[in-house]
Amino acid sequence: MDTQWPRFEVFEQARPGQPHRNAGAVHAPDAEMALQNARDVFVRRPDCASLWVAPEAAIYSRTAEELTAGEAEAGDEHGPTQMYQVFQKQSQRQAETFVNHLGSVEASSPEAALRQAAEQWGKGAWVWWIVPESAITRSTEAEAASMFAPALNKPYRQPNYYHVQTQMRAVRAHDPDEDEA
Amino acid sequence: MIAPPHPALAPQLLALADDELILGHRDSEWCGHAPILEEDIAFANLAQDELGHAALWYRLVEQLSQARPDHLVFFRQAKHYRCAQLVTLPKGDWAYAMLRQFLFDAAEAVRLPGLAASRYAPLAETAAKIQTEEIYHLRHTRAWVRRLGLGTEESHRRMQAALDALWPYALQLFVPLTDEAALTAAGLVPAAAAMQQEWEALAGATLHDAGLVIPAGAEAVAQDRREIGPHLPGLLDEMQAVARLEGPEVGW
Repeated sequence: MDTQWPRFEVFEQARPGQPHRNAGAVHAPDAEMALQNARDVFVRRPDCASLWVAPEAAIYSRTAEELTAGEAEAGDEHGPTQMYQVFQKQSQRQAETFVNHLGSVEASSPEAALRQAAEQWGKGAWVWWIVPESAITRSTEAEAASMFAPALNKPYRQPNYYHVQTQMRAVRAHDPDEDEA
Repeated sequence: MIAPPHPALAPQLLALADDELILGHRDSEWCGHAPILEEDIAFANLAQDELGHAALWYRLVEQLSQARPDHLVFFRQAKHYRCAQLVTLPKGDWAYAMLRQFLFDAAEAVRLPGLAASRYAPLAETAAKIQTEEIYHLRHTRAWVRRLGLGTEESHRRMQAALDALWPYALQLFVPLTDEAALTAAGLVPAAAAMQQEWEALAGATLHDAGLVIPAGAEAVAQDRREIGPHLPGLLDEMQAVARLEGPEVGW
């Protein structure tokens, strides 16, 4: 039996107005715990204004390769429309390794949402993620103060707080064993 | 040194600091041992937060009494600590650790707004700062208490056993310290009896939701914080070992 909890992808917004970008994933039994785990795993260091989580199972993901190789996937054309959030990774270049939020579309299926997204934002993307709005759980503004603000007052969580190199140099300077070596 | 607004204030703040320090230390014993990686990180965060809160309270104690925080933490004997016995108890199983943290967080949720209204401004400011973070702690531990209480037969059984064991210890958090009534009368700290009532309602609601029953007729395990219980000396032996080996003059 698989006892692992489901995976949730985590999207972090560093400052208000910036796009949410994928920070990684957490395991959690449900969305509320996923949001809390996301906070604890990814917001130990400052600069977070908002978090979103979405179950990996709900994310429709296609790479550029898959889109060119495979036939266009039809999807349900007659179902009721709903809102999808669109995320995109621009390329494989190291500076562009994040899956960023672009905006939302209304569509009757994730496949239709992806076609719409490609028209709107161009086909140059390396990876697309299409996430139903209904699958996303967000931190609220009211929660932000207790979830994110305290991290700003914790310089001791930053590695540069400890001046380890300076102290090691001082120790070495006085260590006779070090002189012999 | 600041002229203390009341001679009993420094000992009162020392008790708050000791509670946070020792609970933070006990929580830190879960680092690397929690049931799932994400929660291991979350609980270690929480432990570090409690140590951070302790540091803030020790700093206030220092301003009032000139006792240095490092000395208070690393060179004080167990018999001079003033923490409640709740925080000294060995870490137990996951249900026990989570429930203890929840009961403590609920107590903080009740105490901190009162302290934030203290007439002693440095105390009020510190309480307001800690309060923000404790809102998150309570949210996190409350979510766990619900899920463990309503989870499986085994998780429920362990939670109820933890509650039966911990409740009398948690009640000690609201036993007034010597001269606490005078501090309350001076508008420096909130009234203990009212806080206890509010805490029982707050914690009780979550426990009830989680299908757990508060043991009836329980009384606080001790009336005086000078009774430290059997577990603190061993904890301090470990926590203070390195500092005592190097002596108080070594810089960190």
